[in-house]
Amino acid sequence: MKSEELKNQEYKYGFTTEIENFKAPKGLSEETIKFISKIKKEPKWMLDWRLKAFNRLKALKEPNWQKPKYPNINYQDLYYYSAPKSMKDKPKSLDEVDPKLIETYNKLGIPLNEQKKLSGVAVDAVFDSVSVATTFKGELDKKGIIFCPISEAIQKYPELVKKYLGSVIPISDHYFATLNSAVFTDGSFVYIPPNTRCPMELSTYFRINASETGQFERTLIIADKGSYVSYLEGCTAPMRDENQLHAANVELVALDDAEIKYSTVQNWYPGDKDGVGGIYNFVTKRGACRGKNSKISWTQVETGSAITWKYPSCILQGDNSVGEFYSIAITNNHQKADTGTKMIHLGKNTKSKIISKGISAGKADNTYRGLVDIGTKALNSRNYTQCDSLLMGNKCGAHTIPYIKNKNSSSTVEHEATTSKINEDQLFYCNQRGLNQEEAVSLIVNGFCKEVLQQLPMEFAVEAQKLVSISLEGSVG
Amino acid sequence: MEKLFNIDLKKTSLLSKDDEINREKNLKLFLESGFSNKKDENWKFTDLNSIIKKNFKNISNDYNFNFEKNKIQLIDDFEHNSIILVNGSYKSNDTRFEEKGKIKIQSLKSVEEVKDNSNNNLYFLNKALSLGGFYLEIQENYKCKKPFIIYNYFTSNLDNKIINNSNKIKLNQNSELTLLEYNIDEKNKFIKNTFENIEIKDNSVLKSFFIQKTKSKGYFYKSVAGTQGYNSSYQNFILSSGLTFNKIDQNISLTKENSNCFILSGLCLGKNEHQEIKTQINHLAPNCKSYQKIKNVLESDSNGVYQGKIFVKDIAQKTDAYQLSKALILDDKSEFNAKPELEIYADDVKCSHGSTSGSIDADAIHYLMTRGIKLTEAKKLLITGFLNEVFVNIPEQKIKTFLEKTIKEQINGV
Repeated sequence: MKSEELKNQEYKYGFTTEIENFKAPKGLSEETIKFISKIKKEPKWMLDWRLKAFNRLKALKEPNWQKPKYPNINYQDLYYYSAPKSMKDKPKSLDEVDPKLIETYNKLGIPLNEQKKLSGVAVDAVFDSVSVATTFKGELDKKGIIFCPISEAIQKYPELVKKYLGSVIPISDHYFATLNSAVFTDGSFVYIPPNTRCPMELSTYFRINASETGQFERTLIIADKGSYVSYLEGCTAPMRDENQLHAANVELVALDDAEIKYSTVQNWYPGDKDGVGGIYNFVTKRGACRGKNSKISWTQVETGSAITWKYPSCILQGDNSVGEFYSIAITNNHQKADTGTKMIHLGKNTKSKIISKGISAGKADNTYRGLVDIGTKALNSRNYTQCDSLLMGNKCGAHTIPYIKNKNSSSTVEHEATTSKINEDQLFYCNQRGLNQEEAVSLIVNGFCKEVLQQLPMEFAVEAQKLVSISLEGSVG
Repeated sequence: MEKLFNIDLKKTSLLSKDDEINREKNLKLFLESGFSNKKDENWKFTDLNSIIKKNFKNISNDYNFNFEKNKIQLIDDFEHNSIILVNGSYKSNDTRFEEKGKIKIQSLKSVEEVKDNSNNNLYFLNKALSLGGFYLEIQENYKCKKPFIIYNYFTSNLDNKIINNSNKIKLNQNSELTLLEYNIDEKNKFIKNTFENIEIKDNSVLKSFFIQKTKSKGYFYKSVAGTQGYNSSYQNFILSSGLTFNKIDQNISLTKENSNCFILSGLCLGKNEHQEIKTQINHLAPNCKSYQKIKNVLESDSNGVYQGKIFVKDIAQKTDAYQLSKALILDDKSEFNAKPELEIYADDVKCSHGSTSGSIDADAIHYLMTRGIKLTEAKKLLITGFLNEVFVNIPEQKIKTFLEKTIKEQINGV
């Protein structure tokens, strides 16, 4: 393999839709927050909540313990709210949606139009910060499932939002989570009533469009007793030279016997092959298994962004609760990823499983950082962790930083990690059978990632598999 | 409230005015932030500041002692050379089994700086208060015939005292040395802060053992910074069970090809004991090997920590690095924390790590009990078996027998 010959796969989704933007005044201030709150027609308690977060933010400092360092972000130079202007008065149906938006989604392959019935996906598409249209509402309504933009939920279901918002990620958590709490613009809200199985995969496609706009999403998913939901999140973003900050918060709450499956495919603009531009993806994702026998499962395929910095975590409070984390992180060129998970075992007989696959090529850095913490009262708990890294060339780095804490004698923790390169014998074997170098690498890497890809819902699995191959195209000479 | 420190620089046998200024500067640096706490990544699992504050007051470096040589009970299990240190200071040596002129042993004055590039607060403290220690050098092409035992004796008037010393070990080309560091103390509660440099030149081999004679109330910290040359080998066995508090911080750099580094540890931690092993192995050249195996048995209220890091530089291809930490937790109040870390920049490498912690296998106990073995005996057998994996790697039979005997006594104390 000649690492010098690494070339870059052009970003497939690099187009910009020209739609007039409706922006908040530049900069981070109380006025900006009041502006966002006003434009969202929020009740007073919500504004107070935001301002409380903003006050807290003033006392916080940006963390700097992470591996990928980034240039200072000037928070006063960002726009905190931008929405396509034509969206000011919300469209009632798809026909009312700006045709240019529809065109953008079609380019991305989102089945929003005729295919909506065929695909069986209810899409709550977010263009920049405002939700465009929600499909399949009727079918979900029948079951009593709430799936709507969070701004709508704040008005329609204030009791649910008040009860759960910030209960998993408190507003005083850390810098970026607090920033999000202060200025979040929109996101998804899901509530599954007791003993209900959500009949379809809920899905949101995110796009970042306007230049210099940090996108601050807030997602809240509540699975009530005995319910089940599978949620998909997929991301693409247009090509851009300036770095864009994305600091989303995702909160999951699973009550007794409930299960939440949260899958992400993240393919944001990673910057060009010299490391210019790209998205900063600083996301806080946390799930709480509040009830007995509850389960939260995170699956992520991270191929985009200049810097990915996220740790989808599970707090296993309820007895017999289960947390899972499956991750593929692929970094190429100058991309940097610092990702992993936290499994906090508090209840008895709690189980967690972590499978992480990191692949680095070019001059990229890929870090797995995870915490497994088994508390004194979490008797008979069990954790299994496996982190495998694959390196292509000696200009890139692969790092594993697990923190393991075991505080009682009846629990078992196992951790395994390996780092290696693609086996020459396997490559040779594939070549012999008529596959060229690139196809062979793609095949082997897909095999390497199989354990995680299997966890994805069908809709995503195919896309993700292609993405894995595309992300590494040109990384073998 | 009583003061935490009562330090007098005059007690450090100042050599010159410059020395005094230097020491003052370092003491000031230390006192600015004091002992490290949890916020320091290197002390994440061992909050030294709160441990010291809880157990000590009025810490002083003022200790005069009268040393009687017959107080030290020498090991008679095998023939050996000896170096005697009392309260960290070099006293005497006996190299009767070796050829003349091949070995240089002398007192190390604190001015001969021991280097340490870890940004460690205790290093400033050490530089401010160090009383020196020993300097040991083996000449080229000389293989020591018998092992060396360093008798680290602590006198009986050390309550609330702090001892700072520094040592240097140098092995010139084609030399070989086996070193046993053996702690003996009189059940005082004191702090010992040691910084050590090890230099292993091309084709040389250093085997070193850390071992503790009896249970100790001492609080030990030791930082070892080592460099290895071409085809050299460093084999380190940490068997210092019985210390109330111990942290060993090793930073070994494999600077030339074909060198290898082994760190093995088998510890049995009793009530209220806290031991941490922290390692950083830097693979800076191709074709080197490192192997770490850390085994902990944790009894009531004990705390075991392993923080290991393998760093592989981009040119260090064909590196073979392995880390394994295993813990047997026997009590619900005990805790095992691990952070096995890999930082890798070369692609053609074989690096892996594993970490497990859990209780004794119930099936194994059941199996033994059905064969008529009592529960306590069965547990002891399994613990011995668990730690035995470390001992099989010790090449010298006599030392192995001696160490096995010592560890057995420790397990029997369960």
